[in-house]
Amino acid sequence: MKIALLLDSKKFKFWMRKVLWRHLVGFVVVAFSVFPLIWMISGAFDVTGQISTQMLIPTHKGLDNFVQLFSNSSKPFLIWTRNSMVVAISASVMQVGIGALAAYTLSRHRFKGRKLTLSTILIVQMFPQLLAATSLFLIINTFGKSFMFLGLGHQLPLILVFGGSALGVNTWMLKSFFDTLPTEIDEAAKIDGADHFQIFRKIIVPLATPIFVVTFLLSFIGILNEYLITSVILGLDGNKMTVAVGLQQFIYGQYGKNWGPFTAGALLATIPVLTLFIFLQKHLVSGLVSGSTKG
Amino acid sequence: MSKILRYLLTYGLITLILVMATKFLQDRAWFLSIFFYLSASLIFSTYVISKKTPGKYLLPGVLLLCLFHIYPAFYSGAVAFTNDSNGHQLSKTQAIDAILQDSKIPVQTELPINYQVVLKDSTREVFLVFKYSDSFYWIGNSKSVVKLDQSQLKFSINGQIQSVDGQKVLASDQVERYINQIQNITIKMASEITLQPIDLETLEASQPVFTYNASVDQLTNILSGEKYQPNDNGQMVSDSGELLYPGWKANIGWRNFTSVITDKEMRTPLLAVLTWTIVNAFLIVTFGFLFGLVLALIFNYKHMRSKRFYRTIFIIPLAIPSVLSILVWSGLFTAETGVIDRIFHISTPWLTDPWWARVAVLIVELWSTFPYMFLISTGAIQAIPSEILEAAEIDGASPTKTFTQIKLPLVVRTVAPLLIASGAMALNNFGAIYLLTGGGPTFSNSNGNAGATDILISYTYKLAFNGQEGNNYGLASALSILNFVLVGAISLYGLRKMKTMEEIN
Repeated sequence: MKIALLLDSKKFKFWMRKVLWRHLVGFVVVAFSVFPLIWMISGAFDVTGQISTQMLIPTHKGLDNFVQLFSNSSKPFLIWTRNSMVVAISASVMQVGIGALAAYTLSRHRFKGRKLTLSTILIVQMFPQLLAATSLFLIINTFGKSFMFLGLGHQLPLILVFGGSALGVNTWMLKSFFDTLPTEIDEAAKIDGADHFQIFRKIIVPLATPIFVVTFLLSFIGILNEYLITSVILGLDGNKMTVAVGLQQFIYGQYGKNWGPFTAGALLATIPVLTLFIFLQKHLVSGLVSGSTKG
Repeated sequence: MSKILRYLLTYGLITLILVMATKFLQDRAWFLSIFFYLSASLIFSTYVISKKTPGKYLLPGVLLLCLFHIYPAFYSGAVAFTNDSNGHQLSKTQAIDAILQDSKIPVQTELPINYQVVLKDSTREVFLVFKYSDSFYWIGNSKSVVKLDQSQLKFSINGQIQSVDGQKVLASDQVERYINQIQNITIKMASEITLQPIDLETLEASQPVFTYNASVDQLTNILSGEKYQPNDNGQMVSDSGELLYPGWKANIGWRNFTSVITDKEMRTPLLAVLTWTIVNAFLIVTFGFLFGLVLALIFNYKHMRSKRFYRTIFIIPLAIPSVLSILVWSGLFTAETGVIDRIFHISTPWLTDPWWARVAVLIVELWSTFPYMFLISTGAIQAIPSEILEAAEIDGASPTKTFTQIKLPLVVRTVAPLLIASGAMALNNFGAIYLLTGGGPTFSNSNGNAGATDILISYTYKLAFNGQEGNNYGLASALSILNFVLVGAISLYGLRKMKTMEEIN
C-alpha cells in the first residue's frame, strides 16, 4: 500500500521522468572515466600477470606483482621513484619561486618594459619547450662536454630545463592572483618603513600561500608526467630513468610481457597523485581552468 | 649578518658563472660563453650597482628563460640549416683528422724499430729512445720528439743504450711498471708517419693512406692515387662517387626544407603526418567539447542531488598521471586478447590497422580531455545570467530555442579562446600518440619513421632520437620549425580572440 503510494506520488513520477535518465548517463560516463583505473587495479593484484587472461576480479589474487616490481634489479622502481621526486620537487620549487618573484614585480611595480615583458611571456607560453626537444638535447650535450655534471644523463640539467621555463609556465597565473590582493596593504607597510622585499616576504607570500600550493602541485604533476624531454636528457639507462619513463620499459615492445609489475608500479604511482587531486579538487580545478585561460 | 650572506651569495654566483663562461670559451662553445659572461655582468649591475627594483625580481627568470626556452627555439632554427646527424657531428677539421687517423696502414721498415725507456727524474715523464731512419737516434713521447746527438748517448758494450743525457735507461723488468703510459704513446714523425709501441721492445711505424692538401682542400689516396674533394653535404667524395666517413656538420641551406617538398619519399609521409596532426587536434577538441558540453547540460540540474559525486568521478582522468593511464590503455587495446576486445566480444586490430589505431587514439584522447571540457562548460553555463533565461521564458521561448539561441552562443563565446588554446595543445599531444601507438602502424614508404597516427612532434622525435637510418637532428629541427609555425599561427589567432592583450594595457 505504502509502496504503491510512493510509486504514485508526484515526486517519484518527476524523478522517473527527469532524473533517472541522468543517472543512467552518469553511470555510463563513470564507467568510461574509471575504466583504465579499474583495470590498473585488477592487473596489479592478478598474479598471472597476463593481459590476455586478466579478469575484472582476478581469479588468482596476490601481491606477486609488487614483489616482482621491487625485486627487479635491472628495472629499479625505488630508484626511479627517488629520481622522479628529486627532479619534480626541485624543478617545481624553482618554477614557483622564480615565477613568484617575477609575478610580484609585474603585479606591483610600474616600470619601463613591463608591457614588453608581459607580452613576451605570453608569446613564449604558446611554444612549449618540448617543441625544441632536439635542440635541448644538442645544447645539453654541449654543456656536458665542458661540465660533466651538466651533461646528458644527469638530473641537474633536467631540473634547470624545467625550472628555467618558470616564466613561461605559471607567472601569468601567479600575477593574476597577486593582482587580486589589495594594494592598500602594501602601501600601509611601505608607510611603516618596509622595503619592497619585506613587502614581498612578509605580506604577499603569506597571503598567496594557497595559490603557491596549487601552482606547486600543478607543476609537480606536470613534471612527473613529462616523458619527451625527460627521456631525451636522462636517456634510457636503468638507474637514471624516472617513474614515467621507466615503467614504460616494462611493456615496451612486447605487450603484456610484464603487465603485472607494470600495473603494480602504475598503481603505486597513481595513488598519491589521485588522492591529492581528490582532496584538493576545488583548488586544483580552479587552477587548471584559470591557468589555461592564460594560454 | 644577512647583508654578508647576500654579498657572499651574489659574488659567489658571479664567480661561478665567470668560471663556467671561461671554460665554455676554452671549449669553443661561443654562444654559451658569451651568454654566461653577459649573465655575470647583468647580475653584477642589477644586484650590486643598480637601485631599480623590478630587475632584481625579473632577472633570474629572464636569464633561465633565455637559456632554456628561447635559445633552444632559435637553436632549432640554426640546426635546421645544417646536416647535423649521426656521422655529421664533427667540424670539418676534426672530420678530416678522423679520416686520416682511421686510414692508417703500417709502413714497412727494413729493420724492426727497437726502443728503450727513459724516465725523466724531474717530471716522472716517460720517454722512448729509438733508432729511426738510418743511423739517427730519437727521443720522444706523444708530446714531442727530438733527434739526439751521438754525444748525448752512452752505449754499453753490446750496443744497448745505457743512458741519455745522464738519465739511465730503464731495465726491462722496470719497464713493465710503466706499461700503461707506454701503451698510450704515439710519436709523430715527419711526413705523417706515426710510431706506436706494439710490445715492450718494438715500435710500429704507420702512415695514413690519405694525404690532405689544405690549399686545394683535397684528400689523395697514396696507394691508388684517387682524389677526394668535399661535396656540398659535408663529406669527402671521389670522382667515382666513393664517400669517406665520417662527414662533418655543414651548412646545407634550405635543403632540409626543400627536400621534404621535392623528395617524394619524404613528402608523402610528411603530408600524411601533417594532415593527421591538424585533423586529430580538430576532432579531439570538437568531440571533447561536445561531450563535455552535453554532460554539463545534463548534470547542471538543480533537482539532482548527486551532482558533486559525479563531478568528482568525472575528473578522475585528470588525476591519473597521463603517461601511466595511456600505457594502461595501450595494454587494454591489445587486439583479441586485450580487455576491450574480450569485453565486447570483438576482434579489432586496434593498434595494427591505420584506421582503428586512429580511432583508439581518439578514444583515449577523448577520455583525457572530456573532464576539462566538462569543467569549463559547466563554468560557462553557470555564468549565464539568470535574468536572460527568465526573460526568454517569459517571452515564451521553447527549451530548444533557449538552448540554441541563447545558451549555446553564450557558452561558445566564453569558451572559444579556451578551445583554441586546447587545440594548440592538442597539436603537440606527444604522450597520447607516442605511448599508445608509437605513431604506428608504420607507413611502408617512409623509411620506417612515419606512421598512420604520427603527429609532427612524434615524427620529429623519432627522426631525431629513434631514426631507422641514424638520428637526423637537422631534418628534425626543420620539422620542429614547421611545428612552431603551426602552433604559433593557431595560438596567435586564439590570443586575439582571448583579448588578454587588453589586460596588458
